[in-house]
Amino acid sequence: MAASLLSVVGVTKRFGGVVANRDVSFDVLAGELLGLIGPNGAGKSTLFEIITGFYAPDAGEVRLDGVRLTGLSPDRVSRLGVGRTFQKLRPFAGLTVTENVMVGALQKSHDVRRARQEALEILARVGLEEKANAYARTLSTGQRKRLELARALATRPRLLLLDEVTGGVDQRSIPGLVNLVRDLHRGGLTLIVIEHNMRVITAMCGRILALHLGEVIAEGPPSVVTRDPRLIEAYLGQVYV
Amino acid sequence: MSSVAPAAVFFAVAGLVPLLVRDAFLLDGLVLILIWGASAAAWNVAGGYAGQVSLGHSAFFGLGAYAAALLGTRWGLSPWLGLVVGALVATTVGLVIGYLSNRLRGPYFVLATIAFSQVLLIVGSRWRGFTAGSEGIPVPFRPGFWTLGIADKRVWVWIVLALAVIVYLVELYLERSRHGYQLAAVREDEDAALSLGVPARELKVAAIAVSAALTAVCGALWAQYVGFVDPFYVFSIDLSVRFALAAIIGGLGTALGPFLGALLVTTLETYLRAQFGGIGAGLVGIYLIIYGVILILVVRFVPQGLTGWLAARVARRAPTGAG
Repeated sequence: MAASLLSVVGVTKRFGGVVANRDVSFDVLAGELLGLIGPNGAGKSTLFEIITGFYAPDAGEVRLDGVRLTGLSPDRVSRLGVGRTFQKLRPFAGLTVTENVMVGALQKSHDVRRARQEALEILARVGLEEKANAYARTLSTGQRKRLELARALATRPRLLLLDEVTGGVDQRSIPGLVNLVRDLHRGGLTLIVIEHNMRVITAMCGRILALHLGEVIAEGPPSVVTRDPRLIEAYLGQVYV
Repeated sequence: MSSVAPAAVFFAVAGLVPLLVRDAFLLDGLVLILIWGASAAAWNVAGGYAGQVSLGHSAFFGLGAYAAALLGTRWGLSPWLGLVVGALVATTVGLVIGYLSNRLRGPYFVLATIAFSQVLLIVGSRWRGFTAGSEGIPVPFRPGFWTLGIADKRVWVWIVLALAVIVYLVELYLERSRHGYQLAAVREDEDAALSLGVPARELKVAAIAVSAALTAVCGALWAQYVGFVDPFYVFSIDLSVRFALAAIIGGLGTALGPFLGALLVTTLETYLRAQFGGIGAGLVGIYLIIYGVILILVVRFVPQGLTGWLAARVARRAPTGAG
């Protein structure tokens, strides 16, 4: 059995009177692709912010391969091997596509020329090589999603957190993005994916974690979780069943 | 990434002018263009490359000017030593301002930098026992290179040209190095940069400290060249605006831009003063109005600055030339 790469233990996060995460605990095994689902406001993105060091939890802790991430700055968390994308896309608009990815590559590589080469290779991998010299602000939403993915991949993460892979993307681009994530997973990368498209998430993930009002309400393989009455009531609705 | 060829031409021409021109007025203009250009380029390190817009950079300029002047007048030490001390003091102050940049963002940071320069203005103009207060400090002329007592303006051109090239090379480093790309990422989106492992806070602090040190060196040389340090000038908001304006007009975050901006602004100012200087007090501040108009025009019509505008024109002509 694979070892646990990420451990989230009893994480609670409050914003004033609102509890965004309440005593959330789960493990992610090395090489696993975990899906994170739940209605808007369930606390999925907050959990990403806590894992990546942007928010400090009020209680609980996060560990990567035994190393405590809680309390570390986001850049240190990234350097320890946690990559991420953002729900609201944040490309470096004034830099070219290649330069965007180079910033990621320059985390591990100190040589600018080598970082440029790495960036071009990753752009080819995500299908953005034709846009290499374009400014990031000129890209479509789907292309920006690929760019953020490429940028995070360039840091050579051990764990990659993807916030809404297909959100805001036109229908034609979805299969390409899904295949890309699958390829990364097949290549051995450990991923946590937040996704609202249930067809996508059940097709991609071996295990799903469902959040509702900040709490874990279901966890397990897609076939089991999607039949969970609490999840059906809170999120999926009877139509899905 | 910009080509170094235009900058090489710019600096080469500046270096050759003293060999061909003897006119003191023109040489004086060139010295000032290079000092203001270097100051604007130093400002650009923080304001352009790191995106930390400061309107209090006169604080660093003034610290350099005072350090060099005070060490010479009070202890008879070399202004070169004063230049180093000024740079070190400015670096320390820059680290504090840099720390503030991690607490205050956008307009709050700008206001904090203005406040800081005004605090130094009060200290400089009131601490009579040390700084000679609002009367300012005349820098004694002691002939020699070590004392920077140089009457020949041609030598001054080469001294400030060396400084200008050093600041330009720092800018070039920021365009081409790992730290430069990381700083550009911080400027574009700090959170996204952090998520890629960029030590954003440390980089911003470092950029502001380097910018402060370089600005102080400009201040130290300026004080020795002009021969007088007036707290109401060296710590003024006007001066801070001059640095920012030259960089913005020339092209924010471009290596040669601040020098082109300084060339335009200083030439215009000198021309306007020569034209309207004798008419009366009513037109004394006209150059400020002109500054304002130029800034509005640049932001409206050439937001990329002179460098961006020139690059676009060259790019448009290139295919025709190749054909």
